[in-house]
Amino acid sequence: MTPFDLAGLLTFWSRRWDDILELMVEHLVVVLISLAIAMVIGVVVGMLTWNKPIPAAIVIAAAGVALTIPSLALLALLIRPFGLGWTSTVIALTFYSLLPIVRNTIVGLREVPPSVLESAMGMGMGPIKRMMSIQLPIAWPIILTGVRVAAQLTIGIAAIAAYVAGPGLGTLIFNGLSSLGSKNALNFALTGTLGVIILALLVDAAFVQITRLTTSRGLRA
Amino acid sequence: MTVSTATTAISTASAARRTDRRIRIARRAATPVIVVLSLGGLLLWLSTLELDSIEQRTLNWDYIFLRTGEHLNLTIVASILVAVLAIPTGILLSRTRSRFTRGFVLGLANVGQATPAVGVVILLAIIWQTGYTTALVALVIYSFLPVLRNTMIGLEQIDPFVKESALGMGMTSGQVLRRIELPLAVPVILAGLRTSLVFCVGVATIATFINAGGLGDMIVNGLKLQRFPVLVTGAVLVASIALLIDWVASVIEDVLRPKGV
Repeated sequence: MTPFDLAGLLTFWSRRWDDILELMVEHLVVVLISLAIAMVIGVVVGMLTWNKPIPAAIVIAAAGVALTIPSLALLALLIRPFGLGWTSTVIALTFYSLLPIVRNTIVGLREVPPSVLESAMGMGMGPIKRMMSIQLPIAWPIILTGVRVAAQLTIGIAAIAAYVAGPGLGTLIFNGLSSLGSKNALNFALTGTLGVIILALLVDAAFVQITRLTTSRGLRA
Repeated sequence: MTVSTATTAISTASAARRTDRRIRIARRAATPVIVVLSLGGLLLWLSTLELDSIEQRTLNWDYIFLRTGEHLNLTIVASILVAVLAIPTGILLSRTRSRFTRGFVLGLANVGQATPAVGVVILLAIIWQTGYTTALVALVIYSFLPVLRNTMIGLEQIDPFVKESALGMGMTSGQVLRRIELPLAVPVILAGLRTSLVFCVGVATIATFINAGGLGDMIVNGLKLQRFPVLVTGAVLVASIALLIDWVASVIEDVLRPKGV
């Protein structure tokens, strides 16, 4: 039982703000790397399967199974082949990001009206040109929403990855646990948790801007 | 000509429905098959291993049943508490006319989603105590908001005309709630509960950090003592429980969904 001490917390922050900032940047970087990998895999898989009902159903079901697996279990299993630290963390976070991204890619591509596709065909566009300059831009906002959901998810899971020596703010939370009973325990855990929340809200706000800027001009509301 | 196009349209539609049904059945059957295969594989692999004394202490049926029981207990008690607390609160909140309260609760639910589960569990352990009760409270706090939000959204997305016609038929507002609104909101509310159940299985794994037992114990012990078989057994068991609980919830969802919806 540790009483809350605001002055102590502020001193804690002023002494360690550079460490805290560094961990926050690490946290962001590991999430962004994982999201980028998941986006490449997810969008490509989505583009290959969106118009085939059975493969699409299999892909979505498999990604759903992946999301059900508790993160500590997955991280623990990854340690043997990939060791402690960044690699295991990135693989686990990529794994969890796949479901929202693949599902939204498939849904987004399916929502392109068939008449639009037919016009594109009538203009002599081949399947690749159609995908790149018609379908993908129209589906883009939905795909990005999937990435945004994945970002929220992985920012939270990355905190657990600190247990397997992963990077980021989880380190502070686990420092708090291991110094349980000491004066700084609450400061550590509270700083880590608040840092994750702030990061999640900032990333979410950034995604609103990114969606607006990268959506095809004709589609912006 | 028109007749033949019409029949092709019908036959493709029924073909699509058939594929849909086949996919649904396959998905329903897939989870138990995956779980049985992975548990069977685990048993086979363990039986080929020569276990040392440390591994024997954890890899026996008594210990595994004890930890699994703890894990299930934590998950199910937390989910029941959440259902009992969050659904009535959601119903009450959806009846208020105050925009502010609604906005506040939905905003809070969004921030809650951004909060890391480890943070909640460990913070609570630091400011209160370690152990089962703390883990239970953390689980309830953590899954309270998603279920609350789904209850509110489920009740709000009902077509206002449906409610109006029910009132026009002379139902009291209590009757409208019980016989029209709640049944129509059941799918959304259940989806929230299902998510929170799966979540609880995952967060209950973290409960080991604050001495609340569960299968996380096996994972963490396996890591600390570098006994890979112990770690794998814990991880595979937890994953199987999560998959099975999600599967049972999906079956219940289908059974409880009102026939017309």
